[in-house]
Amino acid sequence: MSVTTCRLAGALILVMSVVGLPTDSSAQSVQGRVLDEERMPLPGTQIVIPTLNQGTVSDEEGRYFLDHLEPGTYIVEYRFIGYKSEIRTIEMKSEIVVLDVQMVPENVYLDEAVITAEHQKEAMLKRSTQSVTVLRAADLDSKSGLTLGETLKDLPGVTTLSTGPSISKPVIRGLHSQRLVVLNAGVAQEGQQWGGEHAPEIDPFAMARVEVIKGAAGVEHGVGAIGGVIRLDPPDLPTNESISGRLMISAFSNNRQGAGSLALQGGPKAIRGFGWRLQGSMRRAGDSQTPDWVIGNSAFQEFDGSVSLGIEREAFHLHAYYSHFGTTLGLFKGAHIGNMDDLLAAIERGHPSVDYTFSYTIKAPKQTINHDLVTIESQFRLDTGDWIEAQYGLQSNRREEYDAHCRFCEEPGKKPAFGLSLTTHSLDLKLRQKPRGRLLGVIGISGMNQTNTNNETGYLIPNFKALTGGIFTRQTWVQGPLTLEAGMRYNYRWLEAYPRDSVRSGEFTLQNHTYSSLTAVFGAVWQFSDHWSLASNLGSAWRPPGVNELYNFGVHHGTAQFETGNPTLGGERNYNVDLTLRHVADHSVAEISVYNNQMTGYIYLHPEVDPVVTIRGTFPSFIYSQTNAVLRGIDGLLSHDFGDRFGMSVVGSLVRGRDIKSERHLISMPSDRLTLNGHVNLPTGSRIRESEFHVETLLVRKQNRFPAEIELVEPPSGYALLGAGYKGAFFFGPSLIRFSLDINNIANVAYRDYLSRFRYFVDDPGRNISFRLQLPFGRS
Amino acid sequence: MKFPIRTLLVLLLLSFTLNACDSAEPDHDHAGEEELITRVVVTLTSGTDTITATANDPDGDGTGFEIDPIVLSSGTTYSGSIALWDDVNLENITEEIEEEDDEHQFFYTVGGGVSDRVDVSITDRDSNNLPVGLTFDLVVSDGGPASGTLNVVLSHFDDQPKNGSDRSDETDVNVTFTISLQ
Repeated sequence: MSVTTCRLAGALILVMSVVGLPTDSSAQSVQGRVLDEERMPLPGTQIVIPTLNQGTVSDEEGRYFLDHLEPGTYIVEYRFIGYKSEIRTIEMKSEIVVLDVQMVPENVYLDEAVITAEHQKEAMLKRSTQSVTVLRAADLDSKSGLTLGETLKDLPGVTTLSTGPSISKPVIRGLHSQRLVVLNAGVAQEGQQWGGEHAPEIDPFAMARVEVIKGAAGVEHGVGAIGGVIRLDPPDLPTNESISGRLMISAFSNNRQGAGSLALQGGPKAIRGFGWRLQGSMRRAGDSQTPDWVIGNSAFQEFDGSVSLGIEREAFHLHAYYSHFGTTLGLFKGAHIGNMDDLLAAIERGHPSVDYTFSYTIKAPKQTINHDLVTIESQFRLDTGDWIEAQYGLQSNRREEYDAHCRFCEEPGKKPAFGLSLTTHSLDLKLRQKPRGRLLGVIGISGMNQTNTNNETGYLIPNFKALTGGIFTRQTWVQGPLTLEAGMRYNYRWLEAYPRDSVRSGEFTLQNHTYSSLTAVFGAVWQFSDHWSLASNLGSAWRPPGVNELYNFGVHHGTAQFETGNPTLGGERNYNVDLTLRHVADHSVAEISVYNNQMTGYIYLHPEVDPVVTIRGTFPSFIYSQTNAVLRGIDGLLSHDFGDRFGMSVVGSLVRGRDIKSERHLISMPSDRLTLNGHVNLPTGSRIRESEFHVETLLVRKQNRFPAEIELVEPPSGYALLGAGYKGAFFFGPSLIRFSLDINNIANVAYRDYLSRFRYFVDDPGRNISFRLQLPFGRS
Repeated sequence: MKFPIRTLLVLLLLSFTLNACDSAEPDHDHAGEEELITRVVVTLTSGTDTITATANDPDGDGTGFEIDPIVLSSGTTYSGSIALWDDVNLENITEEIEEEDDEHQFFYTVGGGVSDRVDVSITDRDSNNLPVGLTFDLVVSDGGPASGTLNVVLSHFDDQPKNGSDRSDETDVNVTFTISLQ
């Protein structure tokens, strides 16, 4: 038992026992939660008592609180653009009146894109001083069956970094991996995110809402939120409802993928406030295909499931959530190369050396990844009206990578070349203050303990233990059209690693590191007219170096780079300024954001002059180093409806990355891109409730800004992809059945994206026809 | 309502504390079972004269990589063989290649000032009658002193078919020995 470890845990307990607040015997009050149509919290709802000229705004959890009310009867109004205003009459007799309100969107059966657009309004509210994009259940359903990276890739400011068709990870404003925080059901996802070929271990089927916060968010979300935060939330649980469920099926032509998900939920009347959900999903895909070639061994299969239980009372919520993610995925065989000469030969050839035939078989090289998450979350209200939130998370991540062939096992694929097992415990405690005057805020502490062990075979990331702690506060001040926000956080990390002197032999040595930092945020939102607002955020975030950056040693598969870690690396910090202009009107929505992200101690792979010569041949050598860098860009969304029939939208992203010290472009910055979408709503009736046809074009420019000294070959040419689709919803009995048919890359264009790690070897997948069906049952 | 919550919090904290003290000591006995070649030995025999040249990369990562020079006599024919070892895991790789000879091939390329003086021809064949290269003949023609290189490449043919003349994208060994002719 390490002394430091237990000292920190002791400190946590100490802080816990100190958190206790003076009770405030306020006058009578009304309080509750505002929920949207999917029973998700609706932050930023205005709650007004017109006769008293008194009001407030719901917080991030949708909660509101109005106090100092005299006894009597009042009319309370709940307003949120895009939703029907709700009016409730309350009688103040008892001290506290609890009133939860569910809001209904104004145009439920109109175009979903409009509702989505209306939902963007949420980001426009006084809640966020940062650029935020939200994907609701309807948006997620229209992409069901895709991986998380693929699901998010059309959002403004978001792109993907892919390693073949089976692995894609989100990139926000040019940053990814350890520079993003992914919150899975409230818990920061801790997987083996060591490189670009490790995708987040999350099943989008299980989620009802995805929120992408762009830019530094290092105060509330802790270490790593340099580039932004992706927050994924499963649906809220039903209460007092009979059993219902939903079946979702999707099929894809390109890799002959089938995917399905079944969810069952209920809220037995016998237990007040209790609800449950069971959900399971699977995906099975064969090899993807470019217009001319089969991408050999790019098949994958995935089995996921989740269980969720919860009880909600007026002053007490308790939720338990378990999820399992399990995938086996093949890696394109043609990217398995020996040395630099082999890579150059493959690039020169320009296509796979073998004409593979389509197959569902997953052979080595392959990866199997299992991720389990258990989280228990509890919230309870103090007598003062403030809420205490506690969330514990236990994550177990097991990754095994199988080499194409191993000499010492009977058959490749039976025994992993290496295996890593990462266990993470996390505990977050927050005090969410009730609004006092114009001020509301949150104070929190968090702690995380992590242990990584290598399996009996190979050795890539050293075994390590890490303890991370943080304490933060964020306060928001609201007056009329103006919201001001300020926050601060202190972070600490202690790391003990057992690297070897050299990669395969050499002695294990114990190395200790400690890192700490202070981060802060200032923000403002000014709603200067009914339809326009301007938001600005000055944020700083920080992350300690990753274990791979400290201790990596060896050849990176597929790039023939010999990468060496650097144990002397310090933390990486950024200062991000962004400015967001938002507009919401009846028929149009716009959000445009510009940013300047200054990074000090930016960790990157620095190319060495001399290559590494080994018995296998020559490899260009890279060492993890730090520099100062700046990322600038602009991204945004414009959408407009022409009457009730026609609508169109434009989404664009532009990023520029520069290494300030060496005056070079940063490597692997996403190319400029623009998506144009047009849709037509076809007539609907009592039976057919939705019928929409849409066309879409994605235009991607060639990346001309790259460090020529490091990049092996010129980035691939720009490309244009055309897509079209139809979606409909109709009543079958009492059930509203939804379906959609989409064709992506209609012209079957052969292209390579600059952020596709296999661009040296093979094109990206060609035309893909997808079909989706959604069948609800039970309550409808 | 408060009692269960406090109990819960205390339990959560306790579990956190206990788990925070796990050991993460590495397991010394089981590391590095990856595919690895660390030593290549070329043996050339002519009558009673035996020359061995070793390329030794002790960790396979280039640290302490040493290659012996080869000194040959002009006008001599050597019968050659090559042996491969993994000294980290104490494995004889030559045996592995013999077993999978239809998936491997050595390529010997002579360069520099000896390219027209030295000729290497592979003498062994796999089950498809394609060259393997574990054994070969090396012929040095007459002439004065000269120096150059002998490059040895071992190609692994997995999906890519072996045709006897082309290398694959999977190079297991790529070593260049210096040659001097006397």
